[in-house]
Amino acid sequence: MSGHALARTASSIRVEAVTKSFERGVPALDAVTLDVEAGEFFTLLGPSGCGKTTLLRVLAGLEEPDTGRVEIGGRSMAGVPPHRRSVNTVFQSYALFPHRNVRQNIGFGLEMQGVPGAEIAERSQAIAGLTGIGTLLERDVAQLSGGQRQRVALARALVNEPDVLLLDEPLSALDAGLRAHLQLELKRLQRRLGMTFVFVTHDQEEAMVMSDRIAVLNAGRIAQVDTPQGVYEAPADLFVARFMGHENFVPIRQRDATGVDTAIGRLDGDFAAGSHLLLRPEAIRLDSDARQVPNRFMARVSERLYRGGTTEYRLDCGDIQLMASCANRGQPGHEVGETVEVGVSDRGTATLSD
Amino acid sequence: MSAGRLENGLRAFWIVLLVFLYAPLAVVVFFSFNSINSSARFAGFSLQWYEQLFRNEAIVAALTNTVVLAMVSTIIAVIIGGLLGYGFYRYRLGRLSWLVWLIYLPVIMPDIVFGIAEMTFFVAINERLGILSPGLGTMVIAHVTFQVPFVALLVNARLLSLDPQLFEACHDLYAGPWQRARFFLLPVLRPAILSSFLLALTLSIDDFVISFFTAGPQSTTLPIYIWSAIKKGVTPEVNAIATLMIGSVFLVAFFSLLVQHGPSGGRPSKGGRRA
Amino acid sequence: MSVLRRETRHMLFTVAPGALFILVFLVLPSVYLVGMAFLSSGPYGLPTLPLSLQSFRELAGFGFLGWSPGNLYTLIRSVWQTLLATALVILLAYPAAYYISTRPARWRPLMLLAIVVPSWTNQVIRSVGWMNIFAPGTPVSDLAALLGLTAPQMGLFPSQFAVIVGLVYNFLPFMVLPLYAAFERLDTEQVEAARDLFASPVAVFRHAVFPQTLPGLMAGIVLVAIPAFGMYVVTELLGGGKATMIGNLVARQFAQASNWPLGAAGAMIMIAVTLIGLKVLRDLGRRLSGDREVVL
Repeated sequence: MSGHALARTASSIRVEAVTKSFERGVPALDAVTLDVEAGEFFTLLGPSGCGKTTLLRVLAGLEEPDTGRVEIGGRSMAGVPPHRRSVNTVFQSYALFPHRNVRQNIGFGLEMQGVPGAEIAERSQAIAGLTGIGTLLERDVAQLSGGQRQRVALARALVNEPDVLLLDEPLSALDAGLRAHLQLELKRLQRRLGMTFVFVTHDQEEAMVMSDRIAVLNAGRIAQVDTPQGVYEAPADLFVARFMGHENFVPIRQRDATGVDTAIGRLDGDFAAGSHLLLRPEAIRLDSDARQVPNRFMARVSERLYRGGTTEYRLDCGDIQLMASCANRGQPGHEVGETVEVGVSDRGTATLSD
Repeated sequence: MSAGRLENGLRAFWIVLLVFLYAPLAVVVFFSFNSINSSARFAGFSLQWYEQLFRNEAIVAALTNTVVLAMVSTIIAVIIGGLLGYGFYRYRLGRLSWLVWLIYLPVIMPDIVFGIAEMTFFVAINERLGILSPGLGTMVIAHVTFQVPFVALLVNARLLSLDPQLFEACHDLYAGPWQRARFFLLPVLRPAILSSFLLALTLSIDDFVISFFTAGPQSTTLPIYIWSAIKKGVTPEVNAIATLMIGSVFLVAFFSLLVQHGPSGGRPSKGGRRA
Repeated sequence: MSVLRRETRHMLFTVAPGALFILVFLVLPSVYLVGMAFLSSGPYGLPTLPLSLQSFRELAGFGFLGWSPGNLYTLIRSVWQTLLATALVILLAYPAAYYISTRPARWRPLMLLAIVVPSWTNQVIRSVGWMNIFAPGTPVSDLAALLGLTAPQMGLFPSQFAVIVGLVYNFLPFMVLPLYAAFERLDTEQVEAARDLFASPVAVFRHAVFPQTLPGLMAGIVLVAIPAFGMYVVTELLGGGKATMIGNLVARQFAQASNWPLGAAGAMIMIAVTLIGLKVLRDLGRRLSGDREVVL
């Protein structure tokens, strides 16, 4: 009745050395090479101006790359205009047609492809059910809420059963609660359809929750491509680490076979080469927990943030400030000004270079 | 308390303003039915001036000229101006970008300067090339010239108010160039095209000066006829012609109300095929 | 390459007809008119070589009989009547626009239409209306005579008073519309904040309402003052010799008096004064709004 019509061979994407510049100035994309597997939920993550949206637009055909090539499903996309690509986009502003109601918006793509009216109606109905807007079909788009608009934009793209669906920050205009809800829904929908999704966002938590793999972009270049866990736990460089929300960076002075000398003292363990040590807040242990790991030192609590499930402590260790996050399991907390014992090991840390 | 007084004061002001706005028109209509030749004393109801009017061939010809001038110039201006407004929005003009400023020329140019510029130009061309002799043709050209910028500005403003991603969404959803024009651009611009049609029409109807300077002996319009008649003093016949023109303007106003409140926004059209 | 050529073709298709029309039928005639101002007046007042500044000298009042200030007076009167009419239009338009913006949404289009419809009738007809009202023996004229404002049995026109009324009547809608647009967008929280901070009604208007409606006011002044300054019909029909404006002076050179180069020179002065006016307005707007651009 509904789902079967949408099941379709998803398509892989290959981006090879794509460069794109606007007017004069720095390139928006600088020799970007990327592979997206068929059926993957792939996220382009980065700050504004990093080139993620430009890359998405190159995939959609809305921008022509200056050099390099793009293949979708093994077919070169050179010179293929957007309306001849089996790729659809959910735009950041949703771009719903103001002169058409919900049903007419969803049916637009099929109408342009010359699909018979009865089939348009059937497929629109099915996709509307799937995206949870089955009862809104005759509404004016001006009457819809933000979340509903987002669903209409999604349905309007999905109904065409594209090989690849592109999503340009589709959740950024929504409030936090709705956003979390739609993240889950979108993820489930993608798995159910088995379609390749390329998702653009600047929100690293959103990227981690939703993606199979994440590409972090910085100034037009790919900084790292990995699974959410890989990007978070083993960031390729300081930029990626900062962007993923890390703040505990300890400069490394010297490294030898048994450990490293750092700004907070000697740490024993097996550390890779690099200029900085990254300590994840949840891997910094306090008090009795600290005694289970080899490297311990004293620090003063300068700030305490209670977050329900966890408590965050800002710790002064000499010149260095560290953020520690402790699960609240009923143990007594620490007050500001208290001195606590801190422990770190080579697990939960990573070494980085600029 | 004082808010209520302000409210009452404003309402009274509004009524006085309406009287100010409509009294001159009402007086014209009223005295067009006067049985004597006076605009100070109403002696009785009569249609004699209207009878005279329709027996006067010059007036009937002027009426025809007025309608032809307004309709022809407006249609041409909406097409040319609409394309111009779209072109300015859609394409990078590069070295031609100064053209955009030309649009503002008729806006800052007083009617009278515009009128004499057109007139002297037509005369000069006519002397040398024998074309563009003064008449309906030159009047249409002059009217289109001052209508085009207003149409272009309205259409352009509507396009600028649209989400630019709409154009890309169209492209992304398999619409080719002609489909984009037919299924997106025209429906989305419909309100702007309609209002620019009405604006161009009223600009043409309102104009006297430019028509006056570009008209030829055979292309007298009603305002020009009235002008020369008043120079001999206001007669009830003039009031009768004016009443006809006021009536037609109210008709246009009525249509514009329909355009605003009628099926414009997001009405379901035949695109909404149901299985 | 072919993409680029198609772009250019589409651009030409859309832009060329309008651009050519404006270039040929507006820019070219304007250039011709400017040129004409520097020619001499030949037989029948038609322009002829040699080039001369004679027209400008004549315009400044230097004739066969020495200097006369007539034309200068006309120019000053034009500016004065424009300013007066614009000020009156602003006084009427502010409360009107505010009142409309406070009515229920469904009434507003109708009220705006009520303001605009009279301006859709022809300029000549609007003046005919006022001629009817101001004619000798009408109630309005009798009342004026009774109050001793005019001599008995004299109408209220032709007069400068009638011209000002005609100008205000003609251009009121052009001020109400942009002001209404500004009022509709008015951030009422600013007004409430001002009230909350102990502002008197005058202070509320001065600090919360006026700055927000300033762009609308400036747009309105441009739309009212420019055509008012160039007015021909109203002054010709409602004004006598004492209310003539520069538009009439220019027109006369192409009709009765027949001195085309003189008329062209007058037209150039009109454009120059208009541009100076825009410049002054722009500076004024910038000063009033604290260095933001509000005009053009």
